[in-house]
Amino acid sequence: MKTKILVAIIALLFTIQAQSQNYDFGKVSKEELQEKFHSNDSSAVAAVLYKKEEIKFHFTNTEGFRQERIVHERIKIYNKDGFDWATQKVYLYKGTSNSNEKISNLKAYTYNLVDGKIEKEKLSKDGKFTEDRSEHIRVSSFTMPNVKEGCVIEFKYTVSTARKSIEDVVLQYDIPINKVDIKIATPEYYIYNALLNPRASFTPKLVTSQKTTQVPFEYMMNIISINEHHVPGLKSEAFAGNIDNYRCKLSLELTAALNAQKILDKTFTTTWEKVSRTIYESQYFGQQIEKTNFYKDELQAQVANATDDFEKAQTVEAFVKSKVKWNGNYGKYSQNGIRTAYKEGEGNAADINLLVVSMLRSLGVNAHPVLISTRNNGIPLFPTLNGFNYVICSVQKGEEFLLIDATSQYSAGNILPFRVLNWQGRLIENSSVSRWVNIMPNKKSVESTMLNVKINDDFTASGKVSKNLTSYVAYSYRTNNSDISEEEHLKKLETDKGDIEISNLNFENSKDISKPAKLNYEYELSDAIDEIGDKLYFAPMLFFKTDENPFKLEKRDYPIDFVIPYSDKYYVNIMLPKGYKVESLPKKSILEFKDADAKFSYMISSNGQYLQLKVQLDINNPFILPVDYESFKDFYSRIVEKQSEQIVLAKLEG
Amino acid sequence: MCILRKRFALSILLFFSSFFGFSQDKSAYNALSIPLELKSNANAIIRYENKVVEIVSKDEIKVVSKRVTTVLNKYGNRHINAVQFYDKHTKIEKMIAYIYDEFGNEIKKVKERDFKDVSAVSQISIYEDDRVKYLDYTPLNYPYTVEYNYEVIYKNTAFFPNWLPINDYYLSTQHSEFKIVNNASIELKTKKENFEFYPITEVSDNHFIASNIEGIKQESYTPGLNSIVPRFRVALKAFNMLGVEGINNNWSDFGKWMYDRLLTGTDNIPQTTINEVKQLTSGVDDKIERAKLVYKYMQDKTRYISIQVGIGGWKPMIAEEVDALGYSDCKGLSNYTKALLEAVNVPSYYTVIYGGRSIRHIDSEFSAIQGNHVILCIPDEEENIFLECTSQTNPFGFIAGFTDDRTALLVKPEGGEIVHTKIYSAEDNLQETTADIILNDTGGFEADVVVETTGFQYHLHEGLENETQRDQQLHYKEYWDNINNLSIEKIALENDKENIVYSEKVKLSSSSYASKSGNRLILQPNMFNKVSKIPTRYTDRKLDFKIDRSFKDTDEFIIQLPQSFQLEVMSEGKSIESKFGSYQFKLEAIGENQIKYTRTYTLLKGAYDKEEYKAFRDFRKQIVKYDKTKIVLVKT
Repeated sequence: MKTKILVAIIALLFTIQAQSQNYDFGKVSKEELQEKFHSNDSSAVAAVLYKKEEIKFHFTNTEGFRQERIVHERIKIYNKDGFDWATQKVYLYKGTSNSNEKISNLKAYTYNLVDGKIEKEKLSKDGKFTEDRSEHIRVSSFTMPNVKEGCVIEFKYTVSTARKSIEDVVLQYDIPINKVDIKIATPEYYIYNALLNPRASFTPKLVTSQKTTQVPFEYMMNIISINEHHVPGLKSEAFAGNIDNYRCKLSLELTAALNAQKILDKTFTTTWEKVSRTIYESQYFGQQIEKTNFYKDELQAQVANATDDFEKAQTVEAFVKSKVKWNGNYGKYSQNGIRTAYKEGEGNAADINLLVVSMLRSLGVNAHPVLISTRNNGIPLFPTLNGFNYVICSVQKGEEFLLIDATSQYSAGNILPFRVLNWQGRLIENSSVSRWVNIMPNKKSVESTMLNVKINDDFTASGKVSKNLTSYVAYSYRTNNSDISEEEHLKKLETDKGDIEISNLNFENSKDISKPAKLNYEYELSDAIDEIGDKLYFAPMLFFKTDENPFKLEKRDYPIDFVIPYSDKYYVNIMLPKGYKVESLPKKSILEFKDADAKFSYMISSNGQYLQLKVQLDINNPFILPVDYESFKDFYSRIVEKQSEQIVLAKLEG
Repeated sequence: MCILRKRFALSILLFFSSFFGFSQDKSAYNALSIPLELKSNANAIIRYENKVVEIVSKDEIKVVSKRVTTVLNKYGNRHINAVQFYDKHTKIEKMIAYIYDEFGNEIKKVKERDFKDVSAVSQISIYEDDRVKYLDYTPLNYPYTVEYNYEVIYKNTAFFPNWLPINDYYLSTQHSEFKIVNNASIELKTKKENFEFYPITEVSDNHFIASNIEGIKQESYTPGLNSIVPRFRVALKAFNMLGVEGINNNWSDFGKWMYDRLLTGTDNIPQTTINEVKQLTSGVDDKIERAKLVYKYMQDKTRYISIQVGIGGWKPMIAEEVDALGYSDCKGLSNYTKALLEAVNVPSYYTVIYGGRSIRHIDSEFSAIQGNHVILCIPDEEENIFLECTSQTNPFGFIAGFTDDRTALLVKPEGGEIVHTKIYSAEDNLQETTADIILNDTGGFEADVVVETTGFQYHLHEGLENETQRDQQLHYKEYWDNINNLSIEKIALENDKENIVYSEKVKLSSSSYASKSGNRLILQPNMFNKVSKIPTRYTDRKLDFKIDRSFKDTDEFIIQLPQSFQLEVMSEGKSIESKFGSYQFKLEAIGENQIKYTRTYTLLKGAYDKEEYKAFRDFRKQIVKYDKTKIVLVKT
């Protein structure tokens, strides 16, 4: 009972304190300057005490509506590690002269408490810098004067632009935000679709309203506002993929414009069907596919022997890979045009994969482009042109599909580069027909390892390793190891395997993507066996043992994403040294995580001078949710523990 | 930390490009004609390079260069070197590149306007006024060949193009030629480095040809590439740095020039600040104590920021401005600290150095613009004290890990002077780990661990106190990654800056550490300081090797065994002595079912011949093996 009252009083105190804060520009308080650490996150190096972002449009006779974004932030810097927050960068688009973005009305002050009195210092001219970063981007930066531990900085500026599209409003930083006020007022002539990132762990409340203005004529404004307290800092976690996918932010997509009579003038995009159509009808997309003359003769020579559609697809994929190299750019639209890409031998993802679609269609194969949002583009919040940033090719034969991305040397049919494996794909048949397709692998990739071990009389171990890798594990192994020298490869293999020497390395099918990758080598391991007293001890997986649980956090806010389902199998055959027998073996064990989403088995048996071990880890569902994290961590930890268990050998009598 | 004008380092790389178009034959474009020995350790081969540097006057240098590079694989793409940094004092007269296929057929021509043109600003910097143009080319196939021609006029002659016929690992050179045409009769200072180890011909004065230099393979523990590759260093004895003229016969001259032309007049500070520091130090007689107070004053008042403006990024921001704004870069902060110290009668010198974990020296024999960082030196009878002014947290006089053990230039009013910075010995770079461990009968344990570090090891550990609790916990889970299922219960960190000791007290536990086998528990007693990495094996090591810093670790762990188990087997210990250092561990049974594990490991800095690498590796292999030593407990 008592505690309840205490809580209520504390809550009350906080409310009072919150109310007494003054967030007007320049009204920095002594209390704010005196604060030594953040009340919710004592390790925060800095905190945003207040963030206000206001987006509005005003009408001018010469330019029509112009967008203004007014940003006001007050930041408390607790210690020296927070000093980076005293430097701010504002990115501006350099468009045509009238859409040119400008920063103006920049006011900024640093506040320090000196002998109990607030001293403020203005940002000086020396602290402002502008730099043309590239053809399209200008960076305006400023750095605050007299930044000391405990100081508060405050700045306010306006960015104005003729663009109608609105930048994402970021609602979560790496440091906590105490209070955030957002107000976005858009004229009724432009229709925006507002959405919050559903994957963020913090969800602010959106309030919408409408208001009529008379200036300079009567029209209505749609208003979105957010008023929130205590947004926690975003902290990255291993195996979570792109952490920005989990950042709390508000996106606004321009969907339509009305004319002066408030009648629909232009629609941009509203449904995925329309998005697909808009993209397809672009001259950099659909029209590209129709160009066929420039490759016709050469293509005919390539596919002369192919009869089956999938066979043709694979031939075309190989042909395009040999003719056109990826320049590293993503893109759903053709950058150079497929003809130029073909002639010059380089292009972006769209150039290359639309060329594949075009060639296959010209051969009468049922091929279509599939729009993709790559992993770093995240999962779009709503139908939008920006929701797609990449395109691949799909080939259909009866009920079967083959997905092709010819940008990567070691990708193959249905084995796509990891950047593509995100969300789902949008297959476009023509300008009026499009549909979702699954692009995630449903077939497990398998890595199987045979390890033969002979324990020698001097207690070293020697033997052979042969590995067989399929699908995605083969793709990644080839990507990392096919282009390095054998010596380099050997050195990589020896790394972290203890006192080992590897020889006779053979990497079969290193470039032949139609077959599994195979790896064979021989080894000599000096530190495999411990002789303690008159017994021998060793963990039977030797250098393939997992030594460490990579999941170290006590709890997670974001999922673990292994991306692909896979299976990792080991078959170990051990020949014991003469004069020894097994004294004890680890027990057989089967572990399961969440209805076989992941499974581990450890089987061991002995037969005279031989031991057989079969160990297998299956990740059946590669996406592990935060609620299951603790049990998954425990599952993994037990795998590590099991693999470290020792076999004990004792001397034979006589 | 401050890295002065990265672009100069880069432009030196890029300077090594070439010129005359008439003397090489067509075969330089054909990848099939490369001699096998040049291909074996190479990602790219410089087929033909000719660079002519014309000294027009003391404020103008013209470089005309032609370079033909064959690239064998994707790792070789960067060796095309078709990059040009520029600013308002660097004029690009010509830039053009041609691409050839494997057989030497031209497949593409890239004109100057087709080069990418971007700001050369680096991520660490808030502002730099440089730009860069570079060739952005996606290769169709390997191998391919690029010819890159350029002509550039430099108005800043303090940086003179050097010649490096190879400047990286896995790069070989078929033909590289360098020639200086001195039309201004300005005296040159030159220095040939490592020429004796490479096939280089001196055609005439300041005219060289290198032919058939084979690629160098990178190996671990290799000293810096700078000390391996051939290099022709050049500087003008009379030069111009953007309007400021200078004389450079030796370090004394050059240092004097820096003092007079770059530093003089930059060190005024307001009277109020002078009064403040005087007030702060009043009654303190000892010079060093006064310096400590002033250093702390500066640390609390300022912060580091990278801004690259002013004379080629070499003139410090004036002290008055630093005082008013509270931020600057390494030059401005060092210069400001110098002014503050002067106000309390502590003399100090502006000191130019190469900053970085790996040790790189200012070449004491060759005066020229060098270094990438500035610190401050307070001369003292016993030992010079060096101050890092860009850090707000660094202890006074502490330089381990960034500017220790290397030559530096003191910029004194009477001229430059080369000194060597503090060397931290094994005894200076200590780590002492002690632990009390209670093992339970399922193989788990609870422990109280204390880690104390000094010197370079202090540098590696400090700063942890500023991490979040979550990240501190993660840190220890990584640091002790040999322990499965580790949970960290309590962390107490203390950064004693006065004595420069970092101390970490950690309470932790694990539910499974000792592995089970039937009725036995197998325990590795070295729980908290295990070496597990063996240096890379080379069947035929080519390069000598170097250990940059000495250190010493001592460990003492007391392990309480569970009641239900007793000791079955335990080694007494081992020791190793080698020229690289020493190692020993001991195991003793003490008291009631208690074990004491003690360990000492010392590694000594030094430069060693490649033949000794195997012995070094064996030394480390043995340590890895002994650190895995196990004891066996059996159920009673």
